[in-house]
This record gives sequence, C-alpha cells and structure tokens, in this order.
Amino acid sequence: MSTRPPTLRENRRYILVRVEPAGTEIDQKELYYTISDAVTSLWGDGMAAVIMQAVVAAENGHVVIRCRRGTEKELAIALSTVTAYRDVRLVLRIVAASGTIESLRERIRSGPQTSPVSPEPEECIFDKKSMSVLQCNGQKLDVIEKGFKNANRLFISRDDLE
Amino acid sequence: MKITDAAVFPYPSGDSSVRRFALEAKSLGFDSLVAVDTPAGTCEGIGIQTGILIQDLPMREVIARVKRIRDAGAVISVNARDNGFNRAVITLKGVHILRGIQAADKLAFDHVTAKMAADNGVAVDIDLSPLIFTRGPARQRVIHRYRDLLVFERRFEFPITLSSYARSILDLRATREITGLCSLIGMDTPDAEKAFGGVERVTAPAVPFVRVIP
Repeated sequence: MSTRPPTLRENRRYILVRVEPAGTEIDQKELYYTISDAVTSLWGDGMAAVIMQAVVAAENGHVVIRCRRGTEKELAIALSTVTAYRDVRLVLRIVAASGTIESLRERIRSGPQTSPVSPEPEECIFDKKSMSVLQCNGQKLDVIEKGFKNANRLFISRDDLE
Repeated sequence: MKITDAAVFPYPSGDSSVRRFALEAKSLGFDSLVAVDTPAGTCEGIGIQTGILIQDLPMREVIARVKRIRDAGAVISVNARDNGFNRAVITLKGVHILRGIQAADKLAFDHVTAKMAADNGVAVDIDLSPLIFTRGPARQRVIHRYRDLLVFERRFEFPITLSSYARSILDLRATREITGLCSLIGMDTPDAEKAFGGVERVTAPAVPFVRVIP
C-alpha cells in the first residue's frame, strides 16, 4: 500500500517505559512478541488489531512502544501484565506518553540520573553471605550470591549491608 | 487516606529486602505497605505494617492464634476456605482481612458472609497477582470471581483491600497500573482509591457507638 498523505494517516501515541531490572539486554523483536502476547491474551485479537502495538526504539534501558491514539490505557494495562522476557523476569515501568518519539528521547536524556552516593562496591555482605554487586544506582543495589549454586538476583538497599 | 499495598513478602520469603520494597513503593505512589512476617517501622518515608497471614489451620487453632496475636498491632489476615469457615473467621475479634477468595470454593462467599463482613468491619482482599501472572481461563475465572465479589461490596459496603502479593520488587505495580487492572474487574477509579485505603479503614481504632459528652 502506498504511503498515505499526513491528513489521512492514523494518529499514533508513543509510550516510554523503563525496563527493570536495570541492565537487562533488550532485543526489540523479541520484546515486541512478548508485548504482543500480553496484549492479545488480555484484550483478544480484535482489540490488539485496534491497539496496533509496536516496539519502535530501545535505548539506555528504556523502550518506546507505539500504539493508536486513544488506546494508551489499554496498552498500559497490558504492559503491566508483562512479567518475563526470554525466561528472564522483568517489569516495564511506564514513564511517559507522547505524540512524538523525539520528545520521549528528550525525556530519556533529561531523566533523573541518579549517581551513586559512594563508589560502587564490587562485593558486599548481606544476611551474613558474601554477594557480588550486579547493579548499583544510588541507594539501590542488585546483588547475587557468590558461588555456583545460587543464581538468584537479590534486590537490596545500601542500608541493608553489614 | 494512606495508599497501601495489603501484602508484600520481603526477604527471606522473597528476593527483595523490606528497605528496597519501601524505595520502590515510594516511587510507585504508595504511602505504606503491609509486609508479612516483618517488623513494623518506617523506611524511606513509607510506613511498614506487620502482616500476619494465617492459612491451612483448623478453626480451633485459628481462634487460639488470633487471640494470641491480636494485641500485637499487626494486620491479621486469614485465608478463605469454605463458607462455614469464612463466616466463623469474619466474626472472630482481631481478624482484619479475609484473603484468597478467588481460590476458595465457589460458594465460599455469599450475601450472608458479605453482610457479616460489613457488620464486623472485616475487609475482603483482592489479590492482583492472578490478574498479572495468569493467562487464559485461569485469569478469566479470577476476573469473574472478583466481579461477583464487587456485586456484594456495592450492596453491603464491606471494606476491600488490594494486594500485589509481591515477593520481588519486580512484582510491584504502580498505583495507576493497579487502577487500570482494577478496571478489568469493574472497579472505577474512586472504587480503587477507596480500596487502597482499605487497610487503614480496618485497622483504625473502633469509634464507640455511644459517646459521652461532658
């Protein structure tokens, strides 16, 4: 189909989401299938066709998702049911909605850059166990227990450290 | 009105410490959390209330346990079972919340139980985790049960609480997202806001019916 003139095009909205836990590698195509699955499961094929969700950008731990104007609420509810991607647990936190991708990119650039309150430790002690630090953002620490047996990520704060 | 998540499970039950839960809850729009088996306190400006969850115990032991802990200042919840059990639990002094109604028997909560919950000021909990984590018929069944429950709530006006049952900060959802999820079960925004304050409503000290004015 040839490109429509601007006045005949459908209005779109773009939703900016932050991916947690921080540092999760995002493949746009696979995330699209995950979101599409969540939308279809919740609203059905009919509504999914109306929402027309698509992942249009993924950068700096943020993802921009496109939808048809007026369906932002439905998409947001469906996004809150996304719990895993490639068998890895994650959550998509909605940051903002806008009519242009550029304003969301601006938002990513001007977003709160929380700097660590002290130099990032490489390892720490939590609950009398030695932990490796995976991510450190201000008060927030994501750690993993040292050793090969336990590969579960723990979410703690600096005040929890011994 | 305090916006409260009525059940989270911090470390060691979950993978996130209670302080980290508080940090996340603050950024997601909550004022307080009910943390199961965690000491009460305040972290990062978020009030932490101790939650005690009683489940899989015979009625006699439930009565004994509630008697033992009802003055501890904790939010006491009991998991729903059959109709007779639920009616007995609701009349028990010290019980604040009846949980797990979506997993209980189909006839576990009827109009009589709803009236008793309203009279005794016991809240019925809406667990949001099945809406988030399940798909297909399982989620449809839960939505159906919650819609049924809300029919009774509108008629008898017993308190409702909202719980994420989060065992990780990744399971927490923002208040706006929860309001959206509640719209699936027929709750509009004022209803959801009222339900966020459900814990405060059931734990507030009872106002005496007769007040002596000097």
